[in-house]
Amino acid sequence: MLKTPDWGMMIVFYFFLGGIAGGSYFTAAIADNFGGPRDRQVIRLGYWLSLPLVLICGILLIADLGVPARFLNMLFTFKFWDPMSIGAWMVGVFGLFSFLSCVLSLSSSEAMVTLRRKVSLVGTLAGFFLASYTGVLLSATALPFWSEARLMGALFLASGASTGMAAISLLLFLSGGSTGEAWGKVKRADRYSMILELVILAVFLGLLGSAAAPIIQGQFAPLFWGGLVVAGLVVPLVLDFVGSKAKTLVALSAILVLAGGFILRYVLLMSIQA
Amino acid sequence: MARTLAMFTDISLCIGCRACQVACKQWNELPMEDPEWTGTYQNHAHFTDKTYRLVRFVEKPQADGRLQWDLMSDVCKHCAQAGCLEACPTGAIYRTEYGTVNINQDACNGCRYCVSSCPFGVVAFNHDTGRASKCTFCNDRIHNGLGPACAKACPTESIQFGFRDELVAKAEKRVAKLKEMGYKEARLYGADSNDFLGGLNAFFLLLDKPGTYNLPDKPKLPQRNVFVDSLLSVGSAVLVGLGAIVAFRERGQGKGGGDNA
Ligand code: SF4
Repeated sequence: MLKTPDWGMMIVFYFFLGGIAGGSYFTAAIADNFGGPRDRQVIRLGYWLSLPLVLICGILLIADLGVPARFLNMLFTFKFWDPMSIGAWMVGVFGLFSFLSCVLSLSSSEAMVTLRRKVSLVGTLAGFFLASYTGVLLSATALPFWSEARLMGALFLASGASTGMAAISLLLFLSGGSTGEAWGKVKRADRYSMILELVILAVFLGLLGSAAAPIIQGQFAPLFWGGLVVAGLVVPLVLDFVGSKAKTLVALSAILVLAGGFILRYVLLMSIQA
Repeated sequence: MARTLAMFTDISLCIGCRACQVACKQWNELPMEDPEWTGTYQNHAHFTDKTYRLVRFVEKPQADGRLQWDLMSDVCKHCAQAGCLEACPTGAIYRTEYGTVNINQDACNGCRYCVSSCPFGVVAFNHDTGRASKCTFCNDRIHNGLGPACAKACPTESIQFGFRDELVAKAEKRVAKLKEMGYKEARLYGADSNDFLGGLNAFFLLLDKPGTYNLPDKPKLPQRNVFVDSLLSVGSAVLVGLGAIVAFRERGQGKGGGDNA
């Protein structure tokens, strides 16, 4: 009889927002380093979105401990093989990069931009880490549902990318920047991420086999199949292909992707903890 | 490190009196809990933050329709490679010089990661203190020349305390004897340090397959997953990154071609 940690909604939100923070940051960083002048808004939105999110992440992590000051206990130890330990450190490291990139994005002097690009290349690694380590954290437990497929981290990363990009796309729409070519690029990158996420998810379920029961059968199955697979991945992909001209449809698909990313974390965490 | 200490629980000698369970509660000042109906005489169903020693009452239907009881006093295994200890981000879970695994309550921050990292479901979260708790191997007693309270209280020597090497030798003799007596399924669990988790410092003599007593056949250290899963995450990151680069790349201009954001 194995025990679950009884992590609640705070941790679901942490996993979800951490994915978006990492995803929007590395999307911005890649646009910054490989894109062109038209991607300016994507770059800014990506950096500036990641900063408040990582702050919320830190607050959620600390609040979940019950006695906030006990967070300090983590700072006396560093275990590189332990996702919980290194993860807590990396939230701070990522926050630092996010902050730096935001500050540097305020200036448009040549030197600052060059520096910002360099900083963001390193920050990208932290972003990738933040989006994926939560999956590895789950898989390094004794619980078969979390640990038997080797792809939890890879899945979280793809989902972090797709939700991070969807968030940028939605913000572009809301801020009226949805006309330019940049929007098309974000949507394209998002599409690739979603396809990857679907593929990883399929392999993940295959590897889990009967251990996947908590999400593919019973109470959580409708949410998993309907909310994540259909509404959160397949429908947005279809919408992107058929309705790419109608902006509201694209915005709707971004909302669906975000909801799907939340549902992914929710069902993976809560289905065996309920 | 001092010589490794161990507890050897020989279930063939257990009479189900629960003296160990009670002695543990008394010594460690663990409050009572409401009894729960588990379907057998066993209480509770599993370890809790207030139950560190637990006598399992396993009912085995026999061919003649009667029930046979296997009585097994279960406890934290004080694994040589302990999932709880590796998972702990604060270092609150540590190994003592005697080889036992203990939680420093002051350093525990209540993250609950150890709870799901024990392959035996031992560690429990204490909602009153907001910290994790489990068997301490009576850390205070062993540092004062005494054995754990459970071993001390056991009237049949079903729980024995001593140096690990000596206990293992004893256990091997005992299992050979039981086999001679016709207990075909008798076996040691966790005595061999080459078998799993580097060996258990609280090991058992079982009369049946481990699953009978809610024990995994071949428990493994959960942290062994970290390496492969991280590599696959890197693979996923590379694909995502390439996809984004392809999407954002400005044809003919290349890197640094744009002006500034
Ligand atoms: S049995 Fe569980 S709680 Fe005890 S040392 Fe091993 S991993 Fe830790």
